[in-house]
Amino acid sequence: MTASQIIGQILSGISRGMILFLISSGLTLIFSVMNILNFAHASFWLLGAYLTWTFWQILYSPNFGLWISIPLASLTMAAIGWIIEVWLVRRVYERPLTEQLLLTYGLALVIGDVIKLTWGVADRIVPKPKVVSGLMSIFGAPLPTYNLMVIILGVLVALGLWWLFYKTMFGRKVRASVFSREMISALGVPIHRIYAGVFVLSVFIAALAGGMQAPLSSITYGMDSTVIVECFCVMVIGGFGSLLGALVGSLTVGLIYAFAIMFVPRMALFLIFIVTIIILIVRPWGLFGTPMRV
Amino acid sequence: MEDKARTLRSRWWLSLIIALSIVPPMVIGSFWIQVLTEILILGMFAISFNLIFGLMGQISFGQGAYYALGAYTTALMLTKTSMAFPLCMVAPIVVSGICALIFGFFIVRLTGIYFAILSLAFAQLVHSVIFQWYDFTGGDNGIQGIPSPILLKNPFWNYYFTLVIVSAALIVMWFITKSSFGYTMRAIRDNSNRTGFVGVNVRKHMLINFAIAGMFAGLGGSLWAVFNHSVSPDLANWTHSGVPIFMTIIGGPSYFLGPLVGSIIYTLLFVFVTPFTEYWPLIIGTLIIFIVLFFSGGIVGTLELKIRPE
Repeated sequence: MTASQIIGQILSGISRGMILFLISSGLTLIFSVMNILNFAHASFWLLGAYLTWTFWQILYSPNFGLWISIPLASLTMAAIGWIIEVWLVRRVYERPLTEQLLLTYGLALVIGDVIKLTWGVADRIVPKPKVVSGLMSIFGAPLPTYNLMVIILGVLVALGLWWLFYKTMFGRKVRASVFSREMISALGVPIHRIYAGVFVLSVFIAALAGGMQAPLSSITYGMDSTVIVECFCVMVIGGFGSLLGALVGSLTVGLIYAFAIMFVPRMALFLIFIVTIIILIVRPWGLFGTPMRV
Repeated sequence: MEDKARTLRSRWWLSLIIALSIVPPMVIGSFWIQVLTEILILGMFAISFNLIFGLMGQISFGQGAYYALGAYTTALMLTKTSMAFPLCMVAPIVVSGICALIFGFFIVRLTGIYFAILSLAFAQLVHSVIFQWYDFTGGDNGIQGIPSPILLKNPFWNYYFTLVIVSAALIVMWFITKSSFGYTMRAIRDNSNRTGFVGVNVRKHMLINFAIAGMFAGLGGSLWAVFNHSVSPDLANWTHSGVPIFMTIIGGPSYFLGPLVGSIIYTLLFVFVTPFTEYWPLIIGTLIIFIVLFFSGGIVGTLELKIRPE
């Protein structure tokens, strides 16, 4: 195995990890702010991918179609996310953990079938736009230009989230509401609007990841049920409720996957579960979580 | 007086249940006999899940793994060995029990969301092993054409066979929930710290309970393998672990037979709906959302509240 092969595998792992980060950052936000583990989050991601395909079909412009479809699909998903928050999720914030889990579980089932009803079970393919369909050479390792874009987007979203939560008033309010919900309500901050904002933002990012995923591989019905479990692994490894943890966890899972595919392709998922289990046993709060939460 | 009336009433109910489980197969067709068998197997699976959920207050997203382990043990023993049939029905209980004991050792150290996730992770581990180990488990093809004793090939006799085993299992589980062990579990559910302070080994009790639930899940899987004549790795997937959870939520987790009622509703709904539409998840998903939002005590809980509002 040469150095360039190793670098190639690392890069492919990072780009896979970035997609996972985009999904699990939203999961983490919803978990840390509202304390809800959203089983339907990967379904939002997949729905975003299918919507991107549909918009791309409508626009039918091989070079620019994708760049318009992804934002359109993400915005549509954000609207759908808002409706779901107001009609369903908002009703269970005060309920026990099980009911919250089951509500989002039921939601995942419903969205899965809505996808089947709308798009069928055939694979959908969005080809990469010409500008980014080539290969780049990074330290002698070939990397598809599109994957580099995915990585850059992931970094930008990570920076954007950091800026949003640490540099803006909205972010301060969100962090305050994590710290003490009663206090922030008493101060006159409309807590429901904050929750809705966080939920919509998370769905938006998930759909963005779905749109970016579309040209990476074909869009397959049922992808979401594997990805959601991988995202749970990411959250466990990084630590529930920590955005930095989600980033590190995603990259870890992405890299494990990339190298396992190379050496022991059958064991890829198996290894991810093993790492997750080990983390849960020795450090249940994950790499960056706080022990208090256990 | 009040107590006596209640005993009398529960005896009436019991007689009704016994009559309903013994008589109908004699008058209905083989299709409905199979539906009844399925209700029994899944109902027992759901009640075993409720040992963890209702009794211990934790939610396991991985009971499918122990069910699948039971199903595969029976399937493999019946197809690849020529061991006596009763042995093929007992071994899965042991296999699932041991696995539940090993996994449970780590799982019961956590509670709440972490309990759910770790049980899910272990189940996915089992799923990926079954899925990838082609030479032994048949991979994603599963195992088809499982042989069983000639008598059990007849749905009518298979139903009574299942009925006897499930009834025995339910009686054992009933006594477990009513024993001092069962009340210790309730105490742990309500406040594990205080239960620990009075000298109860909380983790050990939780582990034993988890292993018992795993054993009955394994028994359910083994009955399923005999009933269905085929097994597939999907039994271990987290989507299948949702089935007992749904049944429990539909029926009502605070009643011993609630999950069985859930199994009746779930299975009958499935039978009535699937000929018309393939969108079963859409229907069950909507039902689950509906129940969570409006009937959080399950059907039995809501009914009881209607009849006896206290």
